[in-house]
Amino acid sequence: MIRRPNQTRTIILLVAPAFIFVLVFFVLPLVFLLSQSVLPEEGGFTLTGYFDFFQSRVSRIVYVRTLKLGLIVTGICVLMSYPAAFVLARMPARRRSFLMSLVILPLMTNAVARTFAWLIILGRRGMINQTLLSLDLVEHPVRFIFTETAIVLGLAQLFLPLMVLPLVSAMENIPDDVLEAARSLGANRLTTFLRIVVPLSSDGLVLGATLVFTGSVTAFVTPAILGGSRLLLMSTLLRQKAVILFDQHAAAVVAVVMIVTTLAVNLLLRVFRVQQT
Amino acid sequence: MPHLEIHDLTVSYEKNKPTLERFSLEVEQGELLSLLGPSGCGKTTTLRSVAGFIQPDAGQIVINDRDYTHLPPNRRDIGLVFQSYALFPHLTVFYNVAFGLRMRRIPKDEIYSRVTNALEMVGLEAFADRRPAQLSGGQQQRVALARATVIEPQVLLLDEPLSNLDARLRVDMRQEIRRLQQQLGITTLYVTHDQVEAMSISDRVVVMNQGEIEQIGTPESIFAAPETVFVADFMGFDNRFKAEVASVQGSKLTVNWGGAPIELRWHSKFGSPRPGAGAEIFFRADNASLSAGSEASGLAGYVILHTFHGNELRYLVETDIGEFSIMQDSASQRFEPGTTVTVQPHTQKWIAIIEETEEYA
Amino acid sequence: MVSRWMYLSLVILYGFLLGPFIIIFMASFGANATMAFPPQGFTLDWFTNVFETSQFIDSFWISLQLALLSTIVSLIMGMPVAYALTRFQFAWAGMVETVFSAPILVPGLVIGFAMLNFFVLLGDMHVMTGLFIGHTAILFPYSVRVISASLRNLDPYVEDAAVSLGANRLRGFLLVVLPNMQAGIAAAFVLGFITSFNNVPVSLFLSGPGVTTLPVSMLSYLEYYFDPTIAALSTLLVIFTVLLVQTAERILGLSQFV
Repeated sequence: MIRRPNQTRTIILLVAPAFIFVLVFFVLPLVFLLSQSVLPEEGGFTLTGYFDFFQSRVSRIVYVRTLKLGLIVTGICVLMSYPAAFVLARMPARRRSFLMSLVILPLMTNAVARTFAWLIILGRRGMINQTLLSLDLVEHPVRFIFTETAIVLGLAQLFLPLMVLPLVSAMENIPDDVLEAARSLGANRLTTFLRIVVPLSSDGLVLGATLVFTGSVTAFVTPAILGGSRLLLMSTLLRQKAVILFDQHAAAVVAVVMIVTTLAVNLLLRVFRVQQT
Repeated sequence: MPHLEIHDLTVSYEKNKPTLERFSLEVEQGELLSLLGPSGCGKTTTLRSVAGFIQPDAGQIVINDRDYTHLPPNRRDIGLVFQSYALFPHLTVFYNVAFGLRMRRIPKDEIYSRVTNALEMVGLEAFADRRPAQLSGGQQQRVALARATVIEPQVLLLDEPLSNLDARLRVDMRQEIRRLQQQLGITTLYVTHDQVEAMSISDRVVVMNQGEIEQIGTPESIFAAPETVFVADFMGFDNRFKAEVASVQGSKLTVNWGGAPIELRWHSKFGSPRPGAGAEIFFRADNASLSAGSEASGLAGYVILHTFHGNELRYLVETDIGEFSIMQDSASQRFEPGTTVTVQPHTQKWIAIIEETEEYA
Repeated sequence: MVSRWMYLSLVILYGFLLGPFIIIFMASFGANATMAFPPQGFTLDWFTNVFETSQFIDSFWISLQLALLSTIVSLIMGMPVAYALTRFQFAWAGMVETVFSAPILVPGLVIGFAMLNFFVLLGDMHVMTGLFIGHTAILFPYSVRVISASLRNLDPYVEDAAVSLGANRLRGFLLVVLPNMQAGIAAAFVLGFITSFNNVPVSLFLSGPGVTTLPVSMLSYLEYYFDPTIAALSTLLVIFTVLLVQTAERILGLSQFV
């Protein structure tokens, strides 16, 4: 970074085009959305949209369900990633970069394709039901699709890479010497992992958890396919209010609640990360 | 007439907090002048102003009698060597060195001969087709030197060129830079924070502090006779203590050392000091000697520890006026920790500096 | 430090991550239309079906154009921002960074919804224009971040070196900075392209009659039909992505930017 006197004009010229674009086409629509949520078409300022949202049993259930599933998905991702990320981080660079590209690959494929696989696995005549039937464990196919389990599986598969990547990069930064020092001081493998690796990778964990949780509570494709209109989450509720019920005011309220929720989680975990360091 | 002149240069990054204020300096034709000082003292700002990367708020930069102040950096005839070398990673050594000549639209065969010649001068003719990433730090430094000098600039500017090299290589490169500079007879401004480096390479040294010149002179004069506390500190005087001026006789003043008076050279910002004024006394570890026991003619103390440095032993001696570090020939008598000794001053090498007007408390 | 049971966790992780892809792959060649598992027989009919379904072909072209256009525009506008952030020290840099990372923080579905309402307010806007604006906005965070990372890898003083050797600022940028950013620009391009090409939430509201992106049309196809055509299309997309990502990874080391 080079400090130069009289640089302000140059910086403004560099930043202005993109800045104006984002301001007009991104910030302004959000401001308009916010105003929609408090200014119904009949006119006048009102917070009734928000009261209605939190008083309605349906939307309360949807909101709580969304947060609950988000937490479960985050938990599953943490459990699945932690030991695996440690193995990956300790690998020779060449093998690791191959395996990491396999982690990135799913991230680069569209969510419809990835969620579709779960229809084949969990469907009435899908992999799991066929197995259960052929083992005579059940008499009739079990309904998995349109259950919370299906949504959780779909979301976990979708967002798992977002947990693995920051964890691996946090663990890569732990020098072997530190682990050896812990062992030489008498810690066994488990203690070393819990007392040294976990605290030193907490940054990656928090970042990963933020990404997975906010991703899960705002994802649309997976709940749309695996939950449908029977098992709504916030995103599918927003879509329903806007497109099927044509209630733009209520939809705007749902949208604002989604924004506030994700921003709050981001902010909360950012504070946590700052305190850690 | 000086070759490079800086007149009343004022530069501020923030309003009303100038990094440099009315800074002036003159460099003679073919001279290597070092700007020496801690980070933030304004030395790099001075260099970048000469190079044209900083447009000063006021002041003038003149090279070879031509006003450079408002010339854009690419139209100045200046060679610049960066701390990071700033080699172009995507170009081979040859094309790195050729870059300036190509910008000047020199014919191809002339570029070839000049670049080859420049690479020979730094001993890298065999590396012309390598990329910078394939070179060692020292080799990259040489490429940077060749690149800056091949354009035959009016002035060569070097910004901490050795600080990324390890200690041994630094000594070699110091000699190499000096040799090249003298061979080309090029007027050079050399920025460093390393006093040993500045001493060994320069014709003259400028010690800078907070945008101001503390002292300017030959390496020998600055080494032997610092004029301010800052310079003395920076020049690595090992020992320092406060004393009251007893009397002043022309260029010498008297202070007490143990029981006896000693006469010292002095330097003051405020003219001749009065008796009773406070003085900072500086001396190097090898400018005092130890004798056994307590003597009336010197300052008594006892040995805390000694460390071995090949031909010398360095003693840490505790006295009533502070701890002193004193170097002795390791072949001479050894004093073990706890021994009482007397510190004998070699007063002709000591210096007293007066910077405060208050009386000695 | 790594014990044997920990390798088991790798197997589970990769099984869970990649298993679904294997299942899609198998299903796309299965002969029965009802998606029973394991698939019976072998056929390429579903692949033929993909190419005979005009909504897929049309939306593929729209997605391709959209991804190319919005990626290029977000790069052209994002590059100066990245340059300012990495080459200058200024008080409001933090604010600029926040503004350009905001599109990641706001849920895509909400962005699409908010933009749709806003565009309606603005009056008659072409569907493609709306999609282009939405995609460009959500790509800024990626462009700015990846280009910044690649600029940070380059010594800021090489430009000064070029200028001190006689190049003007623009030439210094073109001759010295740009050639060293090739990898970063290509990485940002691939990342932006894939992000736009796969996006559903932002496109969902902004799509209009006859103008739909490929993933959105896949989603609406699923509402009416449940046959292996989607599996076949997904297989094709995975192969397309693998080729793109592996090429990029091999040439550029993409993972260092993600």
